[in-house]
Amino acid sequence: MTRFEAKVKARAQDISDLTERVGGFLHDGGVDTHATHHVGMILDELLTNLATHGGAADADAAVRISIEKDRVFVEISDNGPPFDPRSTPDPDVAAPLEERGIGGLGLFLMRKLASDIRYDRSDARNHTSFAVSRR
Amino acid sequence: MDISEEIVGNVCVVTAKGRLDGSASAPFVDRLDKLTARQSTFLMDFSGVDFVTSAGLRAVLTTIKKVKSLNGAIAICGVQAPVREILDITGLSPMIRIFASRPEGLAALAK
Repeated sequence: MTRFEAKVKARAQDISDLTERVGGFLHDGGVDTHATHHVGMILDELLTNLATHGGAADADAAVRISIEKDRVFVEISDNGPPFDPRSTPDPDVAAPLEERGIGGLGLFLMRKLASDIRYDRSDARNHTSFAVSRR
Repeated sequence: MDISEEIVGNVCVVTAKGRLDGSASAPFVDRLDKLTARQSTFLMDFSGVDFVTSAGLRAVLTTIKKVKSLNGAIAICGVQAPVREILDITGLSPMIRIFASRPEGLAALAK
């Protein structure tokens, strides 16, 4: 099996359960530990963002993951308000401890660790996709 | 996530196991916060932590800030490679001493 599909409600426990299942799917598919971790983490960040900033406690998302030869490709479609994850500002990761804020790290990590990040809005849904290279 | 602690000499060793994500971050911060009332030197053993998210990193950052505000010492050991990469990218690595193993961390923190 090199394809995974699931629907999830944007709620903390549901997100946690989903990313754990995704980790198992990627591990069983022979994906290295770095890519397995990072795909699960980025998925968690995007869905958590939908849950906390999406303004809709009952937002839901459909997730599709394919294990390809050199990368893992992830597509998410959700019914939250329009949100382009490429648009948030980067945090200052060089700031000293006393000045470090606590926000913005999740989507920053996505931009650092994923490639081919795409976003589009159609049929009143957000369509976000990204890829993580296998090592 | 499972969290347990043990006192070794002057060091409070906090062993975390599992996933440090949005549902684990608040219990993690609360647990460490309570410990700072009695302890000042901490070694966080992360050898069993196989998944972190930004919410988990914020919990770690909050804990580091709290311990340092009390003039305590805090270090981390046994960090798995993907988690270490996240600490590096987000600039958290320079804020805390990182040891490969628990014995190394204990030796460095022992008085």
